Amino acid sequence: MLKLRLLPWEYGVRNLFRRPARTGLTLAGLTTVVLLVFVVVAFLRGLDASLAVTGDPSTMLVYSVGAAEDIESSAVPAQLPALLSASLEGIERRYGTDYVSPELYAATRIGVDDDRPKMAVLRGVTPAAPLVRRQVQMTEGRWPQEGEVLAGRLAAAKLGCRPEALAVGNTVTLAGREFRISGRFAAGGAAYESEVWFPLADLQQGMQRQDLSLVAVGLAGEASAAEVQLFCMERVDLGIQAIEETKYYALLQSHYRPVRTLGWVVVCLVAGAGIFAGLNTMYGAVVGRGRELAALQAIGFRRRAVALSLVQEAVLLAAAASLVAALLAVALVHGAAIRFTMSAFALQVDSVTLLIGCGTGLLLGLLGAVPPAVKAMRQPVVEGLKAV
Amino acid sequence: MPLVEIRNLTKQFSKGGETITPLNEVDLTIEPRDFLSLMGPSGSGKSTLLNLLTGIDRPTSGQILVHGTDITRLSRARLADWRAANIGYIFQTHNLIPVLTAYENIELPLLLLPMTAAERRKRIAIALEAVDLTDRADHYPRQLSGGQEQRVGIARAIVANPTIVVADEPTGDLDARTAGHILQLVERLNAELGMTLFVVTHDPQAASVAARRLQLDEGRLVESEAAAPVAALDAGRRRA
Ligand SMILES: Nc1ncnc2c1ncn2[C@@H]1O[C@H](COP(=O)(O)OP(=O)(O)OP(=O)(O)O)[C@@H](O)[C@H]1O
Ligand SMILES: [Mg+2]
Repeated sequence: MLKLRLLPWEYGVRNLFRRPARTGLTLAGLTTVVLLVFVVVAFLRGLDASLAVTGDPSTMLVYSVGAAEDIESSAVPAQLPALLSASLEGIERRYGTDYVSPELYAATRIGVDDDRPKMAVLRGVTPAAPLVRRQVQMTEGRWPQEGEVLAGRLAAAKLGCRPEALAVGNTVTLAGREFRISGRFAAGGAAYESEVWFPLADLQQGMQRQDLSLVAVGLAGEASAAEVQLFCMERVDLGIQAIEETKYYALLQSHYRPVRTLGWVVVCLVAGAGIFAGLNTMYGAVVGRGRELAALQAIGFRRRAVALSLVQEAVLLAAAASLVAALLAVALVHGAAIRFTMSAFALQVDSVTLLIGCGTGLLLGLLGAVPPAVKAMRQPVVEGLKAV
Repeated sequence: MPLVEIRNLTKQFSKGGETITPLNEVDLTIEPRDFLSLMGPSGSGKSTLLNLLTGIDRPTSGQILVHGTDITRLSRARLADWRAANIGYIFQTHNLIPVLTAYENIELPLLLLPMTAAERRKRIAIALEAVDLTDRADHYPRQLSGGQEQRVGIARAIVANPTIVVADEPTGDLDARTAGHILQLVERLNAELGMTLFVVTHDPQAASVAARRLQLDEGRLVESEAAAPVAALDAGRRRA
């Protein structure tokens, strides 16, 4: 009889129904905690994913020196693309086209669907853009001609409007001018997905600007990055700098580090509160049961088996809470779009999120049960049998 | 070989510098099918002896040999396993698990033994039959009367066919009539099922049904001779 023989699991289940009100409250509390953990983790996963997939190692961004990592405030001369094409050897060229994408990047209000104008992130592009922005894929419609725009997959989320409002064939208004939506695009979760793309000239006119925000350059080889850097440093008169697109987004990601830290702090605090809910319930569950637990040991159940049964009880409750929270998370949280100043991204209740959330839930049950179980098992059987 | 051999058993408690010795070098031999009752004034150490015999407490010194094994040397976990196989425990207040039905309560000791589900069912049916509660199998303890609860407790104690059945004041919480029924039942366990019984009681009448009557006083264990029932009654009167 070396095997540890356990109490029937009905014992654990039915004990939960012994004090239904308390159990119900704990279940609700734990569910809330686990759901909050799901939301925060889904948020962090979504944020990471949107920044991680953005950026192509063979693409460099050229923008003004004063703009730090803030491309929105960058301004470079309109003739910079031609200058780069002419001066740089290492630019990728195919079928007589240079991989040089002049872009104007702006955040402003646009009119959608007769509603109040909404804040949008706009990018003025030329047909060279998809050459350099390789993640971009048309999902619907066609490339915009003059007077037309392309809507990103998450543009509606960024705008805070219904997705149907940005259906192909609808119009948006910028500076009093109507633009027909000619197509939609996706970019594998990259940050562009929350943008609306205009023909460069149209956006320049709408924003009353003749210059550009940046030039994105596709590189032919490894050494070319250094060449672009060197060019930017030599032409002090242009006031430009160059950075690999991946580095740019890595920098952005590091800007979100406080947000991430805060997120994890929230997870820990909320989980900490959850432990107390579990502890409170399990101490309560054990307190009036001293004699019963002693009797079980007198019958021949090992101390460890009885303690395990108490833990099983709590973990069962925590598992139920995790399950409810997971269902709620998948139904309500997953895919919900979060608006940020310059982009939008979707909350991701993926397998990792589920694992972390449910893991936290079960851990809460475990941590909440172990101290009361240990306390109960410390009491000698003889004393337990005398307890009232 | 005797079933149980208690040798030189001493148990001391020290409470705030003062030492109490409820059991002082006690010897006792129990043979198979013996029916022993143990009486004595309150606080004389009856429960203490029973707790040592069942291995839920440890002696200060001495040996308790059961089938030749000294149980005072077993580890706590081993003792639990040993109890599962050898001891049937009837408590003063039944100590049934409130969330389990009568049937499930009786099943508990069997879960500790290697046994098929069919074998368990058969044994539980027999135990229920023995305490005449077959029709209450699916009732929860709160749906049973005090006497019925105690009968379920007895069924649970005998279901695994233990080496020895112990009871600590099994009728202490019951009215006289119900106590009488329970005593009859306990007597039958010995007479009809041949179980070895060790019953701690305050009740001289309860003690008198036992073939061997033990008296514990001042740390000494005395076995009464034939005149025991009278002596037991005397003891009862002196206390009152
Ligand atoms: N854990 C303990 N610590 C200190 N003293 C104890 C402890 N357990 C029992 N005692 C003492 O040992 C003595 C015997 O106690 P025990 O419970 O065996 O008496 P009893 O004969 O069963 O009495 P009753 O008939 O009232 O149940 C008592 O004086 C009691 O105070
Ligand atoms: Mg006692």
